[in-house]
Amino acid sequence: MAFEHIEEFLRPTSVREAVRALHREGRRARVVAGGTGAALRENRTVRTLVDVSRLGLDYIRRKDRGWAIGAATTMTALEESRPIREFADGILAAAAATCGSVQNRNMITLGGGLANAWATADTAAPLLALDASVVLANARGRRRVPLAELFLGTDRTILNGKLLVEILIPAPPRGGRTGWSYQKLGRTESDISIVNCAAGLQVDRAGKCVWARIAMGAIEPTPLRARTAEAALIGQTLTLDSIEAACDALTREIRPITDLRATAEYRGEMSAVLTRRALRECAERAGCLL
Amino acid sequence: MSHDYNVVGKRVTKVDGVKLVTGRPAFTDDIAVPGMLYGKILPSPHAHARIKRIDTSKARALPGVHAVLTYKDVPRVPHTTAGQAWPEPSPYDTYLLDSKVRFVGDRVAAVAAETRAQAEEALRLIEVEYEVLPLVLDMEHAMDAGAPMIHDEPDSTGIFDAQHNLAAYIHQEIGNVEQGFREADMIFEREYRTPRQQHCSIEPHVTITWLDSDNRLVIRSSTQVPYHARRQVAMILQIPVQRVHVIKPRIGGGFGGKQEMLLEDICGALTLATRRPVKIEFTREEEFYMSRSRHPQILRIKMGVMHDGTIVANHLKVLATTGAYGSHSSTVQGSTGSKVLPLYRTAHMKFECHVVYTNTPVAGAFRGYGCPQGFFAQESLVDEIAHELGMDPLEFRQRNFIQLGDIDDLAAQLGEGKKGLPRTIRSCGLPECVERGAAAADWERKRKAPQDVSSHIRRGIGVACSMQGSGIAGIDWASALLKMNEDGSFNLQVGASDLGTGSDTVLAQIAAETLGVSLDKFIVYSADTDFTPFDVGAYASSTTIISGGAVKKAAENVREQILRVASRMLETPVENLTCRDNQVVTKCECQKSVSMTDLALHAMYKEKTQIIGHASHFNTDSPPPFCVQFAEVEVDTETGRIRVPHLVTAVDLGVAINPMQAEGQAEGAVLQSLGYALAEEMQLDERGRMINAGFADYKIFTSKDMPKLTTILVETEEPLGPYGAKAIAEIPINAPAPAVANAIFHAIGVRFRKLPIRPEEVLRALREKEKHEEETSDEPAGVGAAIPRATPRH
Amino acid sequence: MKTTLLRVKVVINSEAKEWTIAPGDLLLDVLRREGYFGVKRGCETGECGACTVLVNGRAINSCLLFAAQADGCDLLTIEGVAKDDTLDPIQEIFLDHGAVQCGYCTPGMILSTKALLARNSDPTEAEVCDALAGNYCRCTGFRKPIEAVLAAAAARRANGGKKSPRAAKVKSR
Repeated sequence: MAFEHIEEFLRPTSVREAVRALHREGRRARVVAGGTGAALRENRTVRTLVDVSRLGLDYIRRKDRGWAIGAATTMTALEESRPIREFADGILAAAAATCGSVQNRNMITLGGGLANAWATADTAAPLLALDASVVLANARGRRRVPLAELFLGTDRTILNGKLLVEILIPAPPRGGRTGWSYQKLGRTESDISIVNCAAGLQVDRAGKCVWARIAMGAIEPTPLRARTAEAALIGQTLTLDSIEAACDALTREIRPITDLRATAEYRGEMSAVLTRRALRECAERAGCLL
Repeated sequence: MSHDYNVVGKRVTKVDGVKLVTGRPAFTDDIAVPGMLYGKILPSPHAHARIKRIDTSKARALPGVHAVLTYKDVPRVPHTTAGQAWPEPSPYDTYLLDSKVRFVGDRVAAVAAETRAQAEEALRLIEVEYEVLPLVLDMEHAMDAGAPMIHDEPDSTGIFDAQHNLAAYIHQEIGNVEQGFREADMIFEREYRTPRQQHCSIEPHVTITWLDSDNRLVIRSSTQVPYHARRQVAMILQIPVQRVHVIKPRIGGGFGGKQEMLLEDICGALTLATRRPVKIEFTREEEFYMSRSRHPQILRIKMGVMHDGTIVANHLKVLATTGAYGSHSSTVQGSTGSKVLPLYRTAHMKFECHVVYTNTPVAGAFRGYGCPQGFFAQESLVDEIAHELGMDPLEFRQRNFIQLGDIDDLAAQLGEGKKGLPRTIRSCGLPECVERGAAAADWERKRKAPQDVSSHIRRGIGVACSMQGSGIAGIDWASALLKMNEDGSFNLQVGASDLGTGSDTVLAQIAAETLGVSLDKFIVYSADTDFTPFDVGAYASSTTIISGGAVKKAAENVREQILRVASRMLETPVENLTCRDNQVVTKCECQKSVSMTDLALHAMYKEKTQIIGHASHFNTDSPPPFCVQFAEVEVDTETGRIRVPHLVTAVDLGVAINPMQAEGQAEGAVLQSLGYALAEEMQLDERGRMINAGFADYKIFTSKDMPKLTTILVETEEPLGPYGAKAIAEIPINAPAPAVANAIFHAIGVRFRKLPIRPEEVLRALREKEKHEEETSDEPAGVGAAIPRATPRH
Repeated sequence: MKTTLLRVKVVINSEAKEWTIAPGDLLLDVLRREGYFGVKRGCETGECGACTVLVNGRAINSCLLFAAQADGCDLLTIEGVAKDDTLDPIQEIFLDHGAVQCGYCTPGMILSTKALLARNSDPTEAEVCDALAGNYCRCTGFRKPIEAVLAAAAARRANGGKKSPRAAKVKSR
């Protein structure tokens, strides 16, 4: 349990220094941001910790009507940021606010949740729905990757020694009426997600859905975009029935897991329930009467 | 109820409160002991196995390791770990270390090393070859012919039938239930199931042992039972009791999990082997599966009733498992019968119980002690019966409640290991609990016309009642020592274990009231086997009534001494004197007085005498507290999630010595019961390993889950309790779970007879009900619809 | 195995301190080793909050933070809340409301409360629940702690944010 096997704790002061250290140490090194040493307890081969919490990676900046968020930005920072609370009906702030207790949220970073590929990370679904991409850095430079390509499986990403430094969120669709929603279900009020859902809709003046995003977390080993469900909405007038049709499509599209928290059957049913609730809330926020 | 006391009955702050809010070092681990080693236990990975070979050489060779113990290195003394008065009624089926392991987590070996990391490494270096044996995890198959025999060792004693894995068998009857059932108009029989629940004290078990300068074994431990621990450790390590010194510091919660001699023996053994101080502290994971838990039960309850709702026969059959060892096996289950059935008067009662061994984590004492299980079954069945009869559930209960003046004969049949004593009800606040609780819960209105929150959130309200005991009649006993200091202050030394319950404060209040002095004059010390007189420890809701009884007697004794000194100082007869406001004053108009300070100085330096008193106390009865609880629920029919917006507790605790602490006790008990009802269960896989041994997946209620709580203290005057007190520590944990289950039935017309009630099950049950209604569409659409509902407008 | 020891400098309870630590040392372990016994060990997985301390004014689980990460930070443990013999009003109010039973979760709750009230002078009950959701308590059922936090907020507003010092003596009423 104790971390006596750690030989070195590095505190680089620049991203360059950090990526060099990661490159040098290879598999013996692990990134530490918010602490959360829990993930490290099982792994006794780690010898070097690289602290990335002081590389100036905690920022929330406007970028081309979208956002550039440093990977070391905490859940609390997102939750408390007025602009983030107002952006996309606040789904990212809402998701950050459900990431555990105040103590957890003060420590968990946006990059950390993604880099560890926690299937249950509450921020993954909103970021997917927002078409986010991540910026990975190594000694050779930086590379931008769509978020969906980051995840390989539970606790597995493409990072492979690279450092996740930034999350980019593009501008949401212009014109029309948009609405976003975030829903989470756990076993009790303070829980890891059994299912979470982030959705966004845009409707035109006639009430036709012209753009849709539905992203789900915690139901499969990696967070996913429910593209079939999205397609079922686009081009249709947004009604209770079209929402229902999208939920049906979603249920057929997903392959939920069974674990000790919930069965696949329950996850499947709840995916539909949360998606329905999310889409209805999107519609309401988009000023659409169903 | 009004009484005119100065300290008793007041909402005073705890005497140890400042220490706690400032985080002063007061708990077991809050000391730095020079040279202390870290002890760790190697847990068995198998649920049932023999140790064929165990090689500790590599572990012992690791730098920093001072001892590695296996069964070969320690005495073999059969014992129970249950913190009970001697002779313990639990089987002597446990060994310090054994060559056989009986559950995943059982002790295989123990090490002591200079650092925690070295201790953990040493565990990894112990080589064990196991002969894995067939296991039995399912209590329903533990007694089958051919089931593996868990306790096949010849030297264990007190096991009812080891061949059939039967740790205990209990059978008690008054009247003749068969006759009762013949006379009944209707008979109802149902089966209920309750889960394995863990205490989850925020402070895990922790013990530190060392040898003092006199070579005595000092044990500083988070324990509810310092005296029992002393006796048991002495026996197990084969050293004289005189050589053992147990110290109980502040404890971070126990709830029965620490009514157990759990780490003291193995920690002491490591100290004896190394001659060094040793600390063993469970990690949270170890706490979950290597400590104790609540006995899971299958309860089959059958009641015979008349058309008018009178219960004429009550037969409860229980199958329980005690896990791999029989700690508290007969007594917890005995309470399931003796403290549950008598709530409703009937001439015919029968209780039968098989308590079996399984290769699962060990069960032990847990707040409520068999009653949460029993009341879940009984209060659910009673609700079902009331519904069938078309009677209001409260009215049905009131028709059958035990009453003031009744004699409970079932209690006479179930003592701790020997014949019990009949129980006479000398105080009973049930009627007032019903009335005040129902009013606070808005029962009538919410029962008749529940207002649904929305189309998919249905509301309901349910009620459940319970009783408990206060101390074990004829067995629990306590003593107190009270010494006066020259400044008018007093040392109150009690063996009673304040485990966070506030008993130090309550006992000081009793002493203060008796002596006519203020609460701040007391230095309370609990507990230490060298400096505080005997007390069985904190369990069975005994501290206020039994330890308090001893304190009151000791204080009366000291009061007499004080009055005699005052009589001499004031030259007036003792009859003319009384104590109040930190002084002794004359009753007559002469208005002479002497302050306690002056009196103490005089006694010590002029009369050269120490004013000091002691007393022992026990009761031959166990006056039950009573409780009525109302639960409101909101059922989300889309997700199956249950929310409890409001929980009302109306409890007859006798006189409340400290109403604020009493409320706090009730509120904490409710939290544990709601978790029991809706979220908590130790889950085991097919190999007997606990798969949710952590807070991430063993869900306890947090601040966000808790409902609005209304706590009503209904006071009655109990003749056997100091200042009329009974108890409150356990009882409020008994009825919230059935109240919630009953409320869910009211909300959605579905009965849940198995805890915890998980959202998945709720959803499944709702689907089945819908299907059933579709298939039988000529019948009324489910029982729930019989209650007119107000449907909200969107 | 060659471990590089580190020196960390902190300001803890307004005192400047320098510690020599191993790289894998967790802040909880270092704090208790340095004598801050009010910081409790309850789960070591960042769930129960018994180990809560304030780092730069923010409540964190010290069981999950590496001590090295506290370098250059301002720490507050329960030992730094009272000023000598004078209790902080939050501590007083917790006592007055019976919000303390076994006391094991109390240091964490008080620090969480301090952090909350520093940012939010008029929290709703829901906000108080959220602030305490990471402080597990098995004794109180949370009712009295929540009432105490609300009362502390009200008292602070009434006092214009000034502390009203009361001596840290054992009291009776």
